[in-house]
Amino acid sequence: MTVTREELAAFADGELPPERAQQIAQTVERDPELAQQLAAHRALKDRLAGHFAPIAQQPVPDRLSAMLTRETAPVSDIAAAREKRQARRRLPHWGWVAGPALAASLALAIFLPRGGVPDGYADAQLAGALDTQLVAEQPSGADTRILLSFQNREGDFCRAFSGASGSGIACRDTQGWKLEALGEGAAGARTEYRTAGADAGAIMARAQSMADGPALDAEAEAEARATGWQ
Amino acid sequence: MTLNPSFEQDLLALLPRLRRFAVGLCGNPADGDDLCQMSLERALANRDKWREGTRLDSWMYRIMRNLWIDEGRATTRRRETFVAEDAGLSVGGEGAQEAAVELSLVDRAMQQLPADQREAVLLVMVEGYGYREAAEIVGCPVGTLNSRLVRGRDALLTLLGEKA
Repeated sequence: MTVTREELAAFADGELPPERAQQIAQTVERDPELAQQLAAHRALKDRLAGHFAPIAQQPVPDRLSAMLTRETAPVSDIAAAREKRQARRRLPHWGWVAGPALAASLALAIFLPRGGVPDGYADAQLAGALDTQLVAEQPSGADTRILLSFQNREGDFCRAFSGASGSGIACRDTQGWKLEALGEGAAGARTEYRTAGADAGAIMARAQSMADGPALDAEAEAEARATGWQ
Repeated sequence: MTLNPSFEQDLLALLPRLRRFAVGLCGNPADGDDLCQMSLERALANRDKWREGTRLDSWMYRIMRNLWIDEGRATTRRRETFVAEDAGLSVGGEGAQEAAVELSLVDRAMQQLPADQREAVLLVMVEGYGYREAAEIVGCPVGTLNSRLVRGRDALLTLLGEKA
């Protein structure tokens, strides 16, 4: 009796009518090669089931279970979600090389003067955040988030920031926080998921090109704050 | 449209299994969870299309599988362009998890299967569906499902170094 590979698989998976299954069982008993194929099928099934079983045992990520208990911002597609995720993961790290295109896409601009602040310097509100917020300790809902701090080639302390009203890089000189680079505002991007998008990527690229050495770690940042960033 | 609160509860109970299927299709937990999220969005938006009394699990698997097929080409292209960048990233958190998964022989073998064989193998050999149910989820005849399963299985046995 001929047993096709499809039929043997169906037999192994319990998919055949009882009568046919019994015929095949008898054939397999007499045919070591078929018996071996059957064993291989079952071994693979066990291996795959065992390999993937732990995933179903893991706790479900909050962002998924939360969708069934409250509203959540949609992911438009996997590719876009991947980009956002990777941009977000990339931010705290210094070890990546930004493409020149990213840096070039960063719009250079100047803040309008207001409130007695010299032309091209951060206004009081932004300066306050730049003066006081540490990357490691800032509140998650802060209007302006400090992305990182570094020293430029002149030895000035610079800080890359991102917020609803704009993102950019400011460096501390004797007059205040001089705005060196500005990107587009993150207005409309309310969730953390989105703020770390291409704009933040461009800011980070620019920061890397300006920096003389690595980004400040938490300790160095706290020290710099203690000395007023000068 | 009548809101049925047990709809959410039933989905919640299904979620661990849905994640397993999603991770199996996508090949890593991060993409799998994104696929899961999209599938839940789609399901919640189309909840009035689910007929009570029919199997919610099959309906969900079908949604997920269709989204995955739709996304497939774009995602694969994107992955290729991101590999070089990823290689230079310091590994931590999510990255470490992905890297660990990528090292697995089974995962790499699964990723080499064509989409139709991969889903057939996952539905039958991992999710435990019968051929008829799996064929309904995929939307193909039972015989076709059977032969995809066999081709996928044989490819895996070769890739994993086990004789068929």
